[in-house]
Amino acid sequence: MTTPRPGTVVLDPTDEREPIRRQLAPRPEHIQGTIGLLDISKPRGNVLLDQIEQRLHERYPAVEVKRYRKPTFAKPAPEDLRRQIAEECGFVIEALAD
Amino acid sequence: MSTTTATLPAFGLDDQDGNWRKFPSGRVALLAFVHEECPTCGMSMPLIEAAHRAFGSAIDVWAVGQDEAGNAALIERHALTGPMLDDSDLKVSFAYGFDTVPTVILADGEGAELARFVGFGREDWRALFADLAARSGLPEPAIDWTSYADSRPGCGSKAVEPGIYERLVAESEGSPLRARRIEIAPDDDVAEFFYDQGLTDGLPVVPPTPERVLRMLGGTRRDAQEVVAVVPPNLAPVTIEKIAINAVLAGCRPEYLPVVIAAVEAMCTEEFNIHGVSATTMGATPLIIVNGPIRHRIGMNMRLGALGAGHRANASIGRAVRLVLRNIGGGKPGGTERSTLGNSMKYTACFAEWEERSPWAPLHVERGFAAEDSVVTLFAATGQSLMVDQTSRSGRQLAGSFGLRLEGVYHPRGHSGGDVFVTVSPEHVDTLWRDGYTKEALRNRIQEITSRPIRDLLADAESGAGVPPGRFPDGELDRLLPKFASTANINIVVAGADAGKFSMIFDGWASGAIGSMPTSRKIEEV
Amino acid sequence: MHDTVWFEIQGIPAVFLASTEFMEAATAQAQSLGLPEVQRAFVPHPIQDATDEEMRAKADAVIDEALAALID
Repeated sequence: MTTPRPGTVVLDPTDEREPIRRQLAPRPEHIQGTIGLLDISKPRGNVLLDQIEQRLHERYPAVEVKRYRKPTFAKPAPEDLRRQIAEECGFVIEALAD
Repeated sequence: MSTTTATLPAFGLDDQDGNWRKFPSGRVALLAFVHEECPTCGMSMPLIEAAHRAFGSAIDVWAVGQDEAGNAALIERHALTGPMLDDSDLKVSFAYGFDTVPTVILADGEGAELARFVGFGREDWRALFADLAARSGLPEPAIDWTSYADSRPGCGSKAVEPGIYERLVAESEGSPLRARRIEIAPDDDVAEFFYDQGLTDGLPVVPPTPERVLRMLGGTRRDAQEVVAVVPPNLAPVTIEKIAINAVLAGCRPEYLPVVIAAVEAMCTEEFNIHGVSATTMGATPLIIVNGPIRHRIGMNMRLGALGAGHRANASIGRAVRLVLRNIGGGKPGGTERSTLGNSMKYTACFAEWEERSPWAPLHVERGFAAEDSVVTLFAATGQSLMVDQTSRSGRQLAGSFGLRLEGVYHPRGHSGGDVFVTVSPEHVDTLWRDGYTKEALRNRIQEITSRPIRDLLADAESGAGVPPGRFPDGELDRLLPKFASTANINIVVAGADAGKFSMIFDGWASGAIGSMPTSRKIEEV
Repeated sequence: MHDTVWFEIQGIPAVFLASTEFMEAATAQAQSLGLPEVQRAFVPHPIQDATDEEMRAKADAVIDEALAALID
């Protein structure tokens, strides 16, 4: 494994009562609303996502499943696709990298 | 149990009776590093005490505790008669470099390590007691070993807690920096990170790298860890270092730092009442005025565009003070900051008085400072608007214009409360001075012009604002009430370009005990 | 993983699925994006040579873990 590249070290401008770092989004107790399945467009990922979608319909009939696809796996998703997913979905499963 | 002959770091610490305990002590010593929050340390305490009672006449048995209050609790809980050394500074723990408590070390009289173990191990303690008995020639105490668990892992040493560890490293290296270090990942966006963490005022900031903060600290002679003030609403203490970090964020140069520091001092006084200033739905913010030699030394703008954008010193000093309020004090819109509309001066509002252009005493001299003192004055402002008079020829006429204009501050019928900050332009000052108008004469004329009978200030069908009917008895309704409670509520400075017959009015908030009072502080001479 | 991290920053729980070949790279990327705890779940290699039947089995094997990563 290569040496990790250094990040930028900065000093905390606050009174330090809260951590200042990236954190995971808070999670709800249950899967509900809309789940987005984002295909990163590597071959065969769609088969996996099809099956996940199927199982979601079986297990959570009330939950809406939306499918999305990046134009290429080589770059992050385009800005407007990200925004669309963020607006439409409460959860995202991104697949499948190999 | 591991054995080694490495020499351990020497130290001196006080015990609970104030005795200074030096290591190496000349005798075999058992050092047990503990802290009260660690249950494994709690398990070990009775054995530490038993070792002291049995062997203390020949061997130094010292508990070394990592937290002052915790140490006292351990002493009480376990009825300790043996010494508990106070390492709440964590310097000795840091020097010893262990990750886990309890760490129990046996050393000889010269400080060479004989043995150590970490966590709780019953067999480790049994072997240790046998060893201590052999070394001292004293009998082992009776211990019910069956009442002890086989083993139990220890807990993290306080000295390696994130934040604490970095501070200890900085202290040991002699760096003045103590603030928590934040590592922004290489593929994260530094500008976005600051936005997402809520550390900006909506505009981008300069990342406060340790190098930039060290350079900023070069702008003051004060100690980086000196606590300058306690910042509302969180009532968080702010150090010189923290002010410097926010000054870097704001885009200040190091030579601006003393002004920012003095402004923060002034802002956090009871008289200025920044808590009220921030919380008010009226939307107030400190207007910052600088006087004295520092204006020229750091290149502040007091002339063309002094109140506006484009000038680094004016812009960044005002901004730094607001960022301290936000990042240290916790004053953010939606939280304790409740202003209905906000106010664009909340980004920054800072300028310098053009003392040399003014025939009048400058603001800081009026407020009791020497002319050669550099001083910052804060005024709680809710808004700013222009006073336009391009035609008055006499001082009396122009003073009258000021009066008529100021009648409108807050609302034309709002009299006797509040205060105002008037920035008189050079052309206006010339007109006033030509006819002998001093600042006080201008103030008096403003009060004269704005004096109206209470009857005219009553709320009515035309406007619901004003004095509530019934507040004053009928007999008083002809009494004249000037705009301001006293001439002391009218603050005056001179700034702006040579050309332009306009002056700027800054509306205040609430004056007096429940409101905010203009507050000045001397700026450090560097 | 850029996208997964972006969704988390927007406040949307997300999980990234990859083959086991990607494990180390995932850890490195998570670090370098500044969110080491970004949620990910892995399916066994191979992917390209797997039959549809095998891919569906991989999906079934990972779905519980993936969903658990999205809720509390």
